[in-house]
Amino acid sequence: MNGYGEDSAVAQSGSKSPGKGSTSGGRAANGKSTTGKAGGGSAGSAGKSGRTTAPAGKSRQSVAAARRSSPSNNRTQLIIGGIAIVVIIGIVVFGVVLNRQQTATQAEGYGASTQSVATASADGVVTVSKPGSTPKATIDVYEDAMCPACAELERQYGQQINQQLDNGNLTVNYHMVNFLNPRSPSGDYSTRAAGALLCVAQNSGSQPGVYMAYHSALFSPDHQPEEGGSSDLTNQQLADLATSVGANEAAAGCISLGQQTQAAATAATAFLATLNQVTGGQAQTPTVVHNGAPLSLTTNWLSTLVS
Amino acid sequence: MTTRTVSRPERIRDAVGVLARLILAGVFLVSGGLKAWDARETIVAVRAYQLLPESLVGPVAAILPYFELALGLLLLIGLATRLAAVLAAVVMVMFIAAVASAAARGLSIDCGCFGGGGQVEPGQTAYTAEILRDAGLLALAVYLAIRPDTPWSVDRFAHRRAAHAA
Repeated sequence: MNGYGEDSAVAQSGSKSPGKGSTSGGRAANGKSTTGKAGGGSAGSAGKSGRTTAPAGKSRQSVAAARRSSPSNNRTQLIIGGIAIVVIIGIVVFGVVLNRQQTATQAEGYGASTQSVATASADGVVTVSKPGSTPKATIDVYEDAMCPACAELERQYGQQINQQLDNGNLTVNYHMVNFLNPRSPSGDYSTRAAGALLCVAQNSGSQPGVYMAYHSALFSPDHQPEEGGSSDLTNQQLADLATSVGANEAAAGCISLGQQTQAAATAATAFLATLNQVTGGQAQTPTVVHNGAPLSLTTNWLSTLVS
Repeated sequence: MTTRTVSRPERIRDAVGVLARLILAGVFLVSGGLKAWDARETIVAVRAYQLLPESLVGPVAAILPYFELALGLLLLIGLATRLAAVLAAVVMVMFIAAVASAAARGLSIDCGCFGGGGQVEPGQTAYTAEILRDAGLLALAVYLAIRPDTPWSVDRFAHRRAAHAA
């Protein structure tokens, strides 16, 4: 059934009549079907008798049946459907090509940062930049160590951030929040990872690239725990990971003892409040704030920022 | 075609039909556009549902926004309205199922319906509102699938012309 037949109908004067049959008869008719039209017309003029002489349902059925088999109408249907399918496929193919460009890893192949150093402020913000540089832009990054979206940000833009840090174009302030703790197997992974990052910033921050390497490692698919998964990293494992990216013994010791976990929790509470403020109560991670407002992280956000 | 007077029920039906079509078109164009605009967020939003294997997250996140845009366009101009409405209904059912399953599994995610998406703070989820909205849109799509003929549509224009020519 094509569904267009009865709706494109014309109601003759008969449709104004209260007779049920006449309305249906009128509706069944359209400009093309002369029988339907006649039915509607006669039903209208005959008033109530229309229902007895020509049962409405039956006449509508036959008109619809006639229309179904109408070759011109069928052809129109086919052409319309064909065009629609071509339109859908065309737009989707175009989109997939565009999407591949949009989601490509930026500065692919650049690798780790070699020049950036990190310092932790008293309130737990870790600032990363190249010593002696005058950056063109400063961004405030809000992340949760459990957040898969943050891992995606790292995959796509991590190397570009390293590159811009090393070029002296960028300063990054990292604010680690912990609202995804409940989604971590241990229940406090977000906080412990944030504490571990603080340990690295405080003890190994002056070693070029180490903080950024640890940050990348925490968000890599190899290390980031799965939400609702069965296990995450212990403090000892977090410490070993820091050692593997070049952090010193003091940093590893700080992490394995969880020395900054409490400080990280306090900081996270304050960061979340700020994040809620900046985003109008829609706190989510990752959020990159520039000049007090969250950035829309579309493909060229970083290159635009430092250009 | 000869002069025609349109009955009142038909006028109402026309109005409802064209309204349903344009509302659905608008929603799909906006939601598809926002998702297409922020491709990374869309990947994240799709992944956040934790329904698809990782190998399918990318392709779905790439196709979905443009599929929505295509449906929006078809509905906007009223081309193959029934086909578009059926596909729209299928998409809505999938959205509702995905959001409902996220709610049932206790995930803290934004539906990503209009771009964005991903994890949000627990307590900031809006699953009920999201499902209700999608259910309303599903109703519009079902209505259009049943009665696809609406005014100001390529469909009606083409059928009239075809009928004329015959």
